[in-house]
Amino acid sequence: MEEISKVIVFQLADEHYAADIKQVSSIEKLEHVTTVPRTADFIKGVINLRGNITPIIDLKERLHIGKAEYTDNTRVVIITIEDIQVGLIVDSATDVVDIDPETIDDPPQMIGSVTEEYITGVVKRDDQLIILLDLDRVLNVDEINAVEDTITD
Amino acid sequence: MAKILVTDDAAFMRMQLKDILGKLGHEVVGEAENGQDAIEKYAELQPDLVTMDITMPELDGVEALKAIKQKDAGATVIMCSAMGQQDRVVEAIQAGAKDFIVKPFTPDRIEEALNKVL
Amino acid sequence: MDTNQYVEVFLDESRDHLQAVNDHLLKLEKQPQEMSLVAEIFRSAHTLKGMAATMGYEEIASLTHKMENVLDLIRNNELQVTTEVIDVTFEAVEALEEMVASIAEGGDGKKDVSHLLAHLQKIETGETVAEESSENNQSQTTEMELDDYQSTVISQAKEQGYQAYNITIRLTADCMLKAARVFMVFEGLEEFGEVIQSVPAAEELEEEKFDQEFTVLLLSKHNETAIQERLHKVSELESVNISVLADLDNSASPSPNETESKESKQQDEKIEKEDNTAAETKQTTAPTQEKKPSTSKTIRVNIERIDSMMNLFEEMVIDRGRLEDLSKQLGNHELIETVEHMSRVSQDMQSMMLTMRMVPIEQVFNRFPRMVRGLAKDLEKDLELHISGADTELDRTVIDEIGDPLVHLIRNSIDHGIESPEKRKQQGKPVKGTLQLRAFHSGNHVMIEMEDDGAGINREKVIEKAIANGILSEDRAEKLSDEDVYDLILTSGFSTADKVSDISGRGVGLDVVRNKIESLGGHIFVESEPGHGSKFSIQLPLTLSILSTLLVTVSDETYAIPLSSIEETVALTNDQIMNVQQKPVMDFRGKVIPIVSLADVFEVPQEERTEKTDISVVVVKKGEKMTGLIVDSFIGQKEVVLKSLGNYLKDVYAISGATILGDGHVSLIIDPNALIK
Repeated sequence: MEEISKVIVFQLADEHYAADIKQVSSIEKLEHVTTVPRTADFIKGVINLRGNITPIIDLKERLHIGKAEYTDNTRVVIITIEDIQVGLIVDSATDVVDIDPETIDDPPQMIGSVTEEYITGVVKRDDQLIILLDLDRVLNVDEINAVEDTITD
Repeated sequence: MAKILVTDDAAFMRMQLKDILGKLGHEVVGEAENGQDAIEKYAELQPDLVTMDITMPELDGVEALKAIKQKDAGATVIMCSAMGQQDRVVEAIQAGAKDFIVKPFTPDRIEEALNKVL
Repeated sequence: MDTNQYVEVFLDESRDHLQAVNDHLLKLEKQPQEMSLVAEIFRSAHTLKGMAATMGYEEIASLTHKMENVLDLIRNNELQVTTEVIDVTFEAVEALEEMVASIAEGGDGKKDVSHLLAHLQKIETGETVAEESSENNQSQTTEMELDDYQSTVISQAKEQGYQAYNITIRLTADCMLKAARVFMVFEGLEEFGEVIQSVPAAEELEEEKFDQEFTVLLLSKHNETAIQERLHKVSELESVNISVLADLDNSASPSPNETESKESKQQDEKIEKEDNTAAETKQTTAPTQEKKPSTSKTIRVNIERIDSMMNLFEEMVIDRGRLEDLSKQLGNHELIETVEHMSRVSQDMQSMMLTMRMVPIEQVFNRFPRMVRGLAKDLEKDLELHISGADTELDRTVIDEIGDPLVHLIRNSIDHGIESPEKRKQQGKPVKGTLQLRAFHSGNHVMIEMEDDGAGINREKVIEKAIANGILSEDRAEKLSDEDVYDLILTSGFSTADKVSDISGRGVGLDVVRNKIESLGGHIFVESEPGHGSKFSIQLPLTLSILSTLLVTVSDETYAIPLSSIEETVALTNDQIMNVQQKPVMDFRGKVIPIVSLADVFEVPQEERTEKTDISVVVVKKGEKMTGLIVDSFIGQKEVVLKSLGNYLKDVYAISGATILGDGHVSLIIDPNALIK
């Protein structure tokens, strides 16, 4: 993390979160979602993203900080990590921001209500606190499967 | 000039064939849009030659050919086939089809086929 | 760019030749006297040498050169085919394969082969420099060759007043259904007599394995003009050359000018006399042609191109669906007709494209004989591998993926199934074990079966092991059927290896095999008879990408059910649903089958559950078992493009994938197998 990196800033409830722009393929409006039965609650279903079937996750539910409320501002941030592509439902996507790695602080014990395991750090910008999400953790498939197992049992 | 019955389920294909046959100086005396239709029109019109599409609803071309041949062993039928219907074409030839043409048609090929069988 | 393209061709052809050497070696091992096999191996080695030298891969060239020398000695009866020769040749082939693989991966194809060279040199005994004095022998004779039988037939026919004609027919370049055209030619010719031979052979003509030209030998009492006139009635023939078969030497290259029949009569006697020598003579006199006339017109296409074409086509299928919807809504007849026609054409196109992706499973099976041979040696087992149905075709993707699971199963069988020769003897079994590998079509599926006549699966041992490994509880064990027990060996956490061998005891269980097969949309079943052997049956879908389905609705959701597993759709009234042990069942053709509500299984929120009078049920089957699935309504049949749910959503219960409908919405594809109890 020597170079200045670009992040996409989005809102969940009143807090600002950010994801590395390298992991973001696009930002979409939320359209028809097809429910996929018997999956974890935070998996809202799949959408047709230009011919690709893409699972959609309610990021708030995934981070255990509530549930998405669908408004005109609701957006889907499409994330691609290795061979996995998913869309994250966020309340709104606001900005692309340059972040100087020097300014990144370690995550404090508790930020809002998101447990630190999903956070790589926080950045103070103007008077805003931006929480940098560890998307690899958020999308950890093993964890999902663990969740699924409890459901199918 | 021969009297020809054109059989194809697609109006477009019939139009095209009619056009080509007309230009070659033949008379299209009837059009049939499926195998059953072709059998009836054949009996009614007694054409010199029938062009017969293979894949059609109701009754397909090969079956229609067999039915026509049964009533009139001397009937001259040319099959119209698409790529990939080799087996059906062979079946049709065994059943007495005089020639086959493969879509998309060219006027030259149709002229050749007519010259060979008429 | 250019050299890259050469490399591709070089790699492709090298692999083909290595495979051929491989196959022939295996045969040679069984029939060491069969000199034609040696000649074939020699030819492949020679071709490889030439190609490698041109491309500058010196190690390959020198190794093949040494192989050639040894083979040449054998061919000239100066050396016997021994196990040593076979073994070292196998080793050399392996080394060559590695070198070719290295080139494929962008390497330089270099490998230290000095020990092999030395070994071959030793066999070669005394530095006999057998140079290419025998070059001629390699030119393939592709012209009409008559065997004794045919020559006899001809001479007898001639006595009865028949004439033998050599007829070369050339189709027009744009002739489309060549096989059908050839059929018409044959049909025409057979009105005049009997076709006793053709080049290429009839099967190859049928499979269109020829370019434009083919030659037939016709016995007929009619004259040339009559035959010429008859063939003139057949369309799409560019030229027809008929010559009277005169002399066998001449028959090799039918002269375009018709030979005088007088001349032929004089030479009749000569034919009989020269019968025996004819074949040999021809090998040396056959003109060395640039191109083999029998090779069909094929091109090698990168699979990626076919795949991207398929992807484009899939998009078109989606649009086609949309068009179908739209035209129905608009109700314009001409539009509907055109769209229907387009649908049919695109269906033909689709099946053609799918066949393009189909490859014979031979590709996978090919590597097994050598592998089995090696394994048997390593494990000191004596067995024979029988392969059948290698020409069964499967989707390219499946072919690419199925190799490893099969290798695993074969290893498993040789390691655990087939007993040692001593043990087999003790048990009164033939000392040589057999392993049968079969592939065949079965409905919409391809079956691959692997059966051995080994020890079979020991139920008690499996249970013991499963309990020890904590995947089974003792009280459950007793209730398990044999089938369930055999299934355990495919479960993760289970591994039966008594002693860890190099072959299959690497801690990788057969569960990997099952997972792989299921990820391909297939199933695996195990059958076994203790003491007599076991059988693994793998059922695979024919193609992966496009499915015929029935679309159904449940509440607001539309699901697709593969037609291949649908037995029937029925409408039931409420009172036709009965309860057996609190589980709903229905009567289907006199059989009581369970019914499941998709809404319940999929936990679809139902707005209100109105008591409907008619209940729509889709009866799905899996083998003999059937289950009724309750849905809200049927929409209709639809060809859909199977898409994966991606790597994030893996193993979703009873869902095998998704598809995009005409309206752009995603619809899930149900895997009925999961719903059948």
